[in-house]
Amino acid sequence: MPPRPRTAAALTAAALALTSVLTGCGGSGGDAGPAQNVDADQLKGTVTVWSWDVAATALQRLATDFHALHPEVTVEVVDVGYDNAEQKLSVGLKSGSGLPDLVTVETQQMQSYLGKFPKGFVDLTEAAAGYKPDMDPSKWAASSDPDGRLAALPWDSGTAGLFYRTDLFTQAGVDAAAIETWDDLIAAGTKVKDATGAKLLASDVSGGVGLVPMLMQQQGAGYFTPDGKVALDSPAALAALEIVRRLNDAGLIHNEAGWDALVRANKDGKVAAEATGVWWSGTLTTEMPELGGKFGVMPLPAVTPGGIRTASNGGSGLAIPAQAENPDAAWAFAKFALADAANQTSMMKNEGLFPAYLPALADPYFAQPQEYFGGQEIYRLFTEQTAQIPAVTYTDDNAAATEAMKAVVSGVVLNGKDPATELAAAAGQLADTTGRERA
Amino acid sequence: MTLLAEPRAPAGGRGSRRAPRLAPWVFIGPAAALFAVFFAYPLGASLVESLQTDERGESVWAGLDNYRRLLDDPLIPKALGNTAVILLVQVPLMLVLALLLAQVLNQSWLRLRTGYRIAYFLPAVTTLVAYAIVFRVLLRADNGVLNQLLGWIGLAPVDWLHDPLWAKVALIASITWKWTGYNMVILLAGLQAIPREQYEAAAVDGAGPATTYLKVVVPQLRPVILFCLITSTIGTLQLFDEPFLLTGGGPDNATLTPIVYLYKIGFEQLDFGYASAIAWAVVALIGALSLAQFRLLGRRR
Repeated sequence: MPPRPRTAAALTAAALALTSVLTGCGGSGGDAGPAQNVDADQLKGTVTVWSWDVAATALQRLATDFHALHPEVTVEVVDVGYDNAEQKLSVGLKSGSGLPDLVTVETQQMQSYLGKFPKGFVDLTEAAAGYKPDMDPSKWAASSDPDGRLAALPWDSGTAGLFYRTDLFTQAGVDAAAIETWDDLIAAGTKVKDATGAKLLASDVSGGVGLVPMLMQQQGAGYFTPDGKVALDSPAALAALEIVRRLNDAGLIHNEAGWDALVRANKDGKVAAEATGVWWSGTLTTEMPELGGKFGVMPLPAVTPGGIRTASNGGSGLAIPAQAENPDAAWAFAKFALADAANQTSMMKNEGLFPAYLPALADPYFAQPQEYFGGQEIYRLFTEQTAQIPAVTYTDDNAAATEAMKAVVSGVVLNGKDPATELAAAAGQLADTTGRERA
Repeated sequence: MTLLAEPRAPAGGRGSRRAPRLAPWVFIGPAAALFAVFFAYPLGASLVESLQTDERGESVWAGLDNYRRLLDDPLIPKALGNTAVILLVQVPLMLVLALLLAQVLNQSWLRLRTGYRIAYFLPAVTTLVAYAIVFRVLLRADNGVLNQLLGWIGLAPVDWLHDPLWAKVALIASITWKWTGYNMVILLAGLQAIPREQYEAAAVDGAGPATTYLKVVVPQLRPVILFCLITSTIGTLQLFDEPFLLTGGGPDNATLTPIVYLYKIGFEQLDFGYASAIAWAVVALIGALSLAQFRLLGRRR
């Protein structure tokens, strides 16, 4: 029967043709050119934005203001949730479709995306050139690719400090002002736990890296050296791991994964402190207003006496995917929200997002006593600390390094393995898979 | 095709000869097209992807590099080792439980049989995310329900999800909870397909319950057990949801499975080439294991 193979061949050919059509549109590319500053009257349509938690709340609020200025443009903010945001963005960049006009990207992830998808985002360099002197330079650098092209407009800084429950500390007779090092904090945390039953802090040490990157940054170290060599097994990493292990051995870590668990542990008073970024103040005030007056902030304890007392944890920027359908309006909204002193200040006041746009820091609000924090001028503290954050190198293999460190942390902290051996093995493995040299 | 085309050809001319030949293609067309788009294409694309690697956003040919990397990666034996433990402990445990339950629920003297069958089957239709969240609450270290129960009978609390050994136990328990009822229903159907006459014949021949079970029931059930074994093996090798939602593969990679690792490589580290290579290695492994089980248990008469 002759027709049979012919039909089969035709079907196969059709399938192949379809395959090539589908592959043709794969990859990370899109056709949007560099961002441009277009006249306001040319802006129209819908801008879809992905964000999470208080950041999404902030953009939602500003979207209304933006719509009042540009009635032709509607901004739709989608809260994709922090735990899923990274994966959703990765899938969209890889498949070349499905991404909105504007995405929130955590600053420490930006180099990974830029390395894997150099054409994934709209080039903001020229359009944003005028704002460069006014932005936190470390954020600007972290949001640019190795050739200096800006891919995300800096939003908020993640300057870290220690948020603690003043009532629980007082109850335990602990003087927060006397805490200078992590050793001091471990001693203080033990007293607080004995007196109140609350553990010191919530952190994920079975599936996450816990406090390790922050403790490393305090010592000026990252997973990589500035010239991109693997430095997972540096003395700083060993010291960081040692602190986390001692915290856990003293029973001071409430070990639970995920954003909701972190918020709940604090809200329920299961923990007395949290070492994290300044944006945590926004989560405290919005998620647990009933605890107003019970929190204070102090600089992070130093790893060694006299050491640096801050680091960077989180903080984001807004980027326009190359596949965005409305890049011009997306850019207009991004600069409206982020490169504007009044709007940045409003996000500080309402959502606790600490501006990377420096002119906003001149606002008197940053020197004011904060009622929620018992009248403490916490933002003055964070403003001072921001200048001291040691710069660390992330590279596009940051995700792989993080994954390697996760296993080391749970192995050492929960499974009693030897820290130096584990770190050396992880560093060797990372160097092998990434083709990088070891420091 | 021959059945359609051969009979009663003479009446019509050439035109009517063509029509019946086209008909089968019309019928399988939609299915074939869907198969091509949603199955054949992704399959082919992932095979191509597994031979490529990413260099600054461009896919470049990497030959067998990704497969070579599989051999050097210490997490691959770790993930396979975890899978082997689950395969050797969980699958037999679950199938024996399912067989016992099926046997009990097949007894005509049991009242409310349908109710029990539904109750045992229910976990299989529970939404995964909901059940994982419930298990996380049950297994929480500080005030989880299970630890409170342990406390009442005077035992020390167990850090279920954060201790490498107990995390495996928790994982095995949750998979067993979810899938025992499913296998039970399939085995039950197998039991009910055994004709009553064979039991009667065995009784006439003087066989006791044990002999009847071993000589009549088990041989008849062999293909059904084999089916359960193979699907459970495939399920175990593809295990993702439970470890991902309960422990994220941790602690210390104690619950890392090949597919959780694949997910981390692909969607967290964005290395889709290596992730595809892992996927194909898992496919090869599933094929080999299924074939081995089929050879061992299937062909005997």
